[in-house]
Amino acid sequence: MAKKWQISRRRMLQGVGATIALPFLEAMGKPFVSVPFKKSPVRTAFLFMPNGVHPEHWTPSSYGSNFDLTRQLAPLAKLKKDVSILGNLMNHNSIFQGADGHYAKSASLLTCMPIKQTIGDNLSSGGVSVDQVIASYQGRDTLFPSLEYGLDRITTGVDINVGFTRLYGSSISWKTPNQPMTKEIDPKLAFDRLFKPYIPGVKVKEDLWKKSILDAVMEDANSLKKNLGRSDQDKLSEYLESIRSVEKRISNEEKREKFSGNITADIKKELIRVNQNINEYEEVYGGVDITEKTRLMLDIMTLAFWSDASRVSTFMFGNSVGNRNFSFLEGVSGNHHSISHHMNKPQLMEEYLRIATWHVEQYAYFLQNLKNIKEGDGTLLDQSMIVFASDLRDGNRHAPRDLPILLGGKGGGKIKGGQNLDFGKETPLANLYLTMLQAQDINLKQFGDSTRTLNSILA
Amino acid sequence: MIKKISPVIFLLLLPYLSQGKDTLSYETHVRPILEKKCIKCHNTNSPKGGVNIDNYKEQARVIENGAFWLKVMDQIETRAMPPKTEPALSMKDYTDLIEGIDGILQKSLEKKTPGHVIIRRLSHAEYHYTVLDLFGVSFDAKNYFPSDGSGGGGFDNQGKTLFFTPLKLERYYDAAEIIVDSLYSDDDRWEQIVPFTFNPTGLTGIKNWILSFFSTKYKGLNDPQIAAERVINQVGSKAYRRFLKGEEKGRLLELFGQVYAENENLSNPSRFNTSIAQVLKGILVSPNFLYKIEEEPDKEGPYPLSHFEVASRMSYFLWCSAPDQELYDLAYKGLLQDSSVLAGQVKRMLADPKSKRFAENFASQWLGIEKLIDPQPMVEESLYPGFDLELRTALYKEAGEFFYYALTKSKNFLDLVNSDYSILNRKLAKFYNIEGVEHDDFRKVTFADNKRGGVLGMGSVLASTSISTRTSPVLRGKWVMEQILGISPPPPPPEVSALTEDPSIHEELGLRKILELHRSSPECQSCHEKMDPLGLGLENYDPTGQWRETYEKVAVDASGVTSEGERFNGPYELRMILMQKEERIARNLSTKILSYALGRSILFTDEPALVKLENALLENNFNPEPFMIELVNSYPFLLKINDFEKKSI
Repeated sequence: MAKKWQISRRRMLQGVGATIALPFLEAMGKPFVSVPFKKSPVRTAFLFMPNGVHPEHWTPSSYGSNFDLTRQLAPLAKLKKDVSILGNLMNHNSIFQGADGHYAKSASLLTCMPIKQTIGDNLSSGGVSVDQVIASYQGRDTLFPSLEYGLDRITTGVDINVGFTRLYGSSISWKTPNQPMTKEIDPKLAFDRLFKPYIPGVKVKEDLWKKSILDAVMEDANSLKKNLGRSDQDKLSEYLESIRSVEKRISNEEKREKFSGNITADIKKELIRVNQNINEYEEVYGGVDITEKTRLMLDIMTLAFWSDASRVSTFMFGNSVGNRNFSFLEGVSGNHHSISHHMNKPQLMEEYLRIATWHVEQYAYFLQNLKNIKEGDGTLLDQSMIVFASDLRDGNRHAPRDLPILLGGKGGGKIKGGQNLDFGKETPLANLYLTMLQAQDINLKQFGDSTRTLNSILA
Repeated sequence: MIKKISPVIFLLLLPYLSQGKDTLSYETHVRPILEKKCIKCHNTNSPKGGVNIDNYKEQARVIENGAFWLKVMDQIETRAMPPKTEPALSMKDYTDLIEGIDGILQKSLEKKTPGHVIIRRLSHAEYHYTVLDLFGVSFDAKNYFPSDGSGGGGFDNQGKTLFFTPLKLERYYDAAEIIVDSLYSDDDRWEQIVPFTFNPTGLTGIKNWILSFFSTKYKGLNDPQIAAERVINQVGSKAYRRFLKGEEKGRLLELFGQVYAENENLSNPSRFNTSIAQVLKGILVSPNFLYKIEEEPDKEGPYPLSHFEVASRMSYFLWCSAPDQELYDLAYKGLLQDSSVLAGQVKRMLADPKSKRFAENFASQWLGIEKLIDPQPMVEESLYPGFDLELRTALYKEAGEFFYYALTKSKNFLDLVNSDYSILNRKLAKFYNIEGVEHDDFRKVTFADNKRGGVLGMGSVLASTSISTRTSPVLRGKWVMEQILGISPPPPPPEVSALTEDPSIHEELGLRKILELHRSSPECQSCHEKMDPLGLGLENYDPTGQWRETYEKVAVDASGVTSEGERFNGPYELRMILMQKEERIARNLSTKILSYALGRSILFTDEPALVKLENALLENNFNPEPFMIELVNSYPFLLKINDFEKKSI
């Protein structure tokens, strides 16, 4: 679909997994570790798309397992059996007195609780987001509890006429109701953080003193805390927790060794390829080609899941109210948010549809990545639950009902896949999250405003 | 020039006027009128425009949210409310409401409070400049650190929206390493930071030994611990913006000792230097460096900031960086609560080229033009070719240069609204179609005509308020209201539809006609009749900010009537109308700059300080200098109050 930025070297190399990897267990298997029936872990990701979709070309017309993909879902053709289309879900807490068209919906997409209307003084997403709940369980065994990626910097400023800081539109992942996770948008920095030491020829200086330095500044923070007021103390506790978390990672030799052991020859090959593409992207494209950037970030997520660097991730295609210029797509001329207010004009709706389709294409690319990788008896995709979601149905009306939600992967055998489902009008979105939590043995009774689990998605 | 002062401000300025008579009671005088005239639309079930007045059942609540009630009063006072479709207020109700609300708010202000400023992590710009000033290393913090959001007045230096996460800590750590490495690789700079070459066996060692008999400066330099302590004192106190506490120094020394002991295989001076390098990293990751901290001793009520805290507030406000030696010395002498000393320092700091950092940092955020330096294209290439990153970066720079000029050279903040010049280079002059500019650096260029002037003639602002295929008079109008006049129109109703983007309809009707149609629906009218004309008056600028007289074939019509009935034709006349609204402009600049300076949202209790700031502008022909002096001397800038919540330890 892309007009510009013709084929790059990376695409000639054909994406991830043209080479087939060793299964997860084999890669990890040290002879003396005897875990005969250890299950490979479930990976979870949430991909957020701003501004909604064309409401009429999303949901397939027939339900169950036998349905035809709509235009916007067409990129999923090869993955039809791996993805379900989840109909009529709604985030009830995204609408409340004083809620605006966008921020109140995106910031709460993964918390399913109402956010607080504020220009920044008492930020609250209402709750911990589902990815962070999962990370608090699944993240214990990995180097990184979760990874937060995106394409755009946080949108600056406050939207005074609706009374929200734009920060709300830039964060879907919330560690606490008051603290958004930090999103990485630079492929090179994101890649280096996880994999730099494993690139042949790259020398990573050993930092012998990191622990001592962190110890010293932690003591600084502890003694400082005594002299501060309450809200300052709360703020400083973010710092203290960060130190603790990093210290834990660097001092956990076992975990790090295990991770090194995960880097098989196949993963290494892929690491080298992705690293090369990142360098090429920075040099050749000057950071402009958004499709390329998206795929690089998704490649890094793939590698992170594959190497078990982390099991939980979020990815934001854009910030809420994102007004990316999508003119690089054939038949589109203009910016995403502006086009989303299409006034039901056919021409604009067509452009709107093409933009959404581009997003689904990238989602499909990610699923295919995971599917190309063998793990255990199946594929990495079989071990995953990958959600695609927008916080709006039709952006023109800021419609919060019947959200466009897709669920890819089999969740370690717990998820059925390949269905077009209608859960009935205004079914809480939180029900999906509750189901996903329970499917990976996180046995919470409730999440957000959930009322029950969605049993029809289960295998 | 005689300044008209609006009744609201007038009353606030002269509290004794209302002290004579009893203030009206909220419950018995004000609330009944509100119930009769306002609550029908602004109630809990359907708060029109997001405004819920019903909620305010008691006077205490009104005071708690005084800022909101100032807006309410403003709406009533300007007769924007009740809307024209409803019966107007009787004269008695009108005065009772205004006087009643004003009296209640004023009473609440008699008990002064400076407001609480939360500890603030350095913004990326602040980090960059602090490191540059301290170590001479230029580090690209903006692109290396994950981006921050904005809060409060819309700036990135507001504590509540500056977060810390493990990822950020990793980046700060890696940044410290990069900075110290870069320092270490440059002998001259290293020597400035670590002035004593520690080398007990070499010639310097003997020299130091001999010199130590004549000057204490050289005493004990052959002892690595003592030499290290010197470096720690010097660097640490600059980095922490105050003297080091014993325990802090102890920890850094301990770190030094630990590294030094284990590096015994190295010979000096590299043994000493590598050990000091670790200490420098520690300083750069310490919360005392990364956060601007104001401690809370056990005190009741408002009390003055410490002198070092004032020094930091001033230097981060005006220089975007740590205090220099002079500020540090004044803090040490305890002179930074003295108003004449402060005035002198503000003058000195504004005259220093470092104040350009304030200009750039503040202006770009106030004007909301960050999009320009994002590599992604802003406008449709085919329609507006050549609007590339290089050009956009130059336009971005123009805004900062221009603000700096108004701040320090022309010394007139009204230039921001209208001027007969801008600060341009050849590239921009060409873009603006101005002849005879051959210099590649940015210099003042006087316009030959009145097509441009002030920020409203700048490509940066005009492009930021357009979309990729066309201008948006609504966005531009809203921008003028919010950023110049400080008025925020209420949000559009939730189910409202935006303008059509269909090019054929645009051709047929023209944007002006489409907006007229849109305005004709009553729910849209009250706001759009304010916003649209302001934006339409800028139609002579295309989506990149270039001048145009026609859209393809049809002539541009940039005439209009403001909601207050002023007629204009074209951007220049529009600017002339805006220039008359001095109080609005003064209040807006005061609010924005005070919020930036304090790093927090403006509270209702800042009202007295704001009134003084506003007057500093109005009474001095918008000269920024007395204004900035007033700000630094203001109550919320120099005082603090402890958090009302209990400490957690």
